[in-house]
Amino acid sequence: MAAVASDKADGQTQWEFSCDLEVDYESEESASIVYAALAVDKELQPDKVKRQMSVSNGKLSVHFEAVEARFLRASYSAFVDVLTLATKTIEEFGKGMEL
Amino acid sequence: MKKMIALGFEGSANKIGVGVVTLDGTILSNPRHTYITPPGQGFLPRETAQHHLQHILPLIKSALETAQITPKEIDCLCYTKGPGMGAPLQVAAIVVRVLSQLWKKPIVAVNHCVAHIEMGRIVTGADDPVVLYVSGGNTQVIAYSEGRYRIFGETIDIAVGNCLDRFARVLTLSNDPSPGYNIEQLAKKGEQYIDLPYAVKGMDVSFSGILSYIEATAVEKLKNSECTPADLCYSLQENVFAMLVEITERAMAHCDKKDVLIVGGVGCNERLQEMMRTMCSERGGRLFATDDRYCIDNGAMIAYTGLLAFVHGASTLFEESTFTQRFRTDEVEAIWRLKEESEKLKRLHG
Repeated sequence: MAAVASDKADGQTQWEFSCDLEVDYESEESASIVYAALAVDKELQPDKVKRQMSVSNGKLSVHFEAVEARFLRASYSAFVDVLTLATKTIEEFGKGMEL
Repeated sequence: MKKMIALGFEGSANKIGVGVVTLDGTILSNPRHTYITPPGQGFLPRETAQHHLQHILPLIKSALETAQITPKEIDCLCYTKGPGMGAPLQVAAIVVRVLSQLWKKPIVAVNHCVAHIEMGRIVTGADDPVVLYVSGGNTQVIAYSEGRYRIFGETIDIAVGNCLDRFARVLTLSNDPSPGYNIEQLAKKGEQYIDLPYAVKGMDVSFSGILSYIEATAVEKLKNSECTPADLCYSLQENVFAMLVEITERAMAHCDKKDVLIVGGVGCNERLQEMMRTMCSERGGRLFATDDRYCIDNGAMIAYTGLLAFVHGASTLFEESTFTQRFRTDEVEAIWRLKEESEKLKRLHG
């Protein structure tokens, strides 16, 4: 699993501060499960932070945009915590667990 | 017929718990872990969520192992939707959403307050009591009426448990196992009653003014050696518990019910139970209360209440498996109670 975070400065973004995160699960199923679990919770301040997610080729891609750096940081860091939790849950209780 | 089994997740405050129960209320396992802060400090949402993140997965393993069940045997996954702190609530919600997809199980969202009531009822056998729900985040006098648990009285500011917890911080009492427990032990050594404001307003109560008053008084009186920390704990308990007994008694008269059930973390305080028992016996009723295993937040109460709803046809759509900091007790339709009531009527009228 590889995660890549980078600043995006290509001018396409609406708000000044943005950030991208990509996690390669090497499994369409795992990526989709994490996507679905995290998509339920909307951003708490949609007028300050936006989050877009997508899944392709077993990878989960997330794009954040915010009006201020501190909102971006808070949103990103909270998201990474729950992303890690969802991923660990799959690792512990997914494959190999008796069904 | 196979016994219905539910797995329940609770994480609305500083406890994270996972429980396995069957529909008859048998608890197959109910492990939990409490985030205990240093003396003088309370628990904050972010740190509490970090605590839950660290402990939730091992707790699931332990709950399944102790109950000796495999995921296959589970009928539904239940979690606390609210009320509570946002970030800690989210931890249980996320795990339930992932497990629901991995194991192909339905989700049932549960109201935390209603779960305390149902757990109290099944453990004590109280059929239709007036319920006093007292904890660190909630203070409500509740009774069932026409399909819902109705709130007859409540705090208009902070919860009684919050008042006690914050006073424990003034005295820098230990938060292990809980600040309320340590206040209760110290209060037993109190000899002198310090006069405090008594704040009952109709059916409601208020604790924030009492807390401000005792915070200021404590520092002053302790400095001048006019009283001991034990006297203050004793006085605070007597005062706030008398307020709770008063509004509970008024609700009993109003609803024409004789029995009282105390639930929530403060409910394991034996002095509160004793005062309430005296009042109940004077009215020809009984007091039902439980100990810390059931009173204090746990996963089994969520599992049991979710399972009750589930067997009566309720479940939560995946997209709607959200959490919310505010979620009032009377927002929930207690569909299982409707059936109980109609069966009771049938028995009465042949």
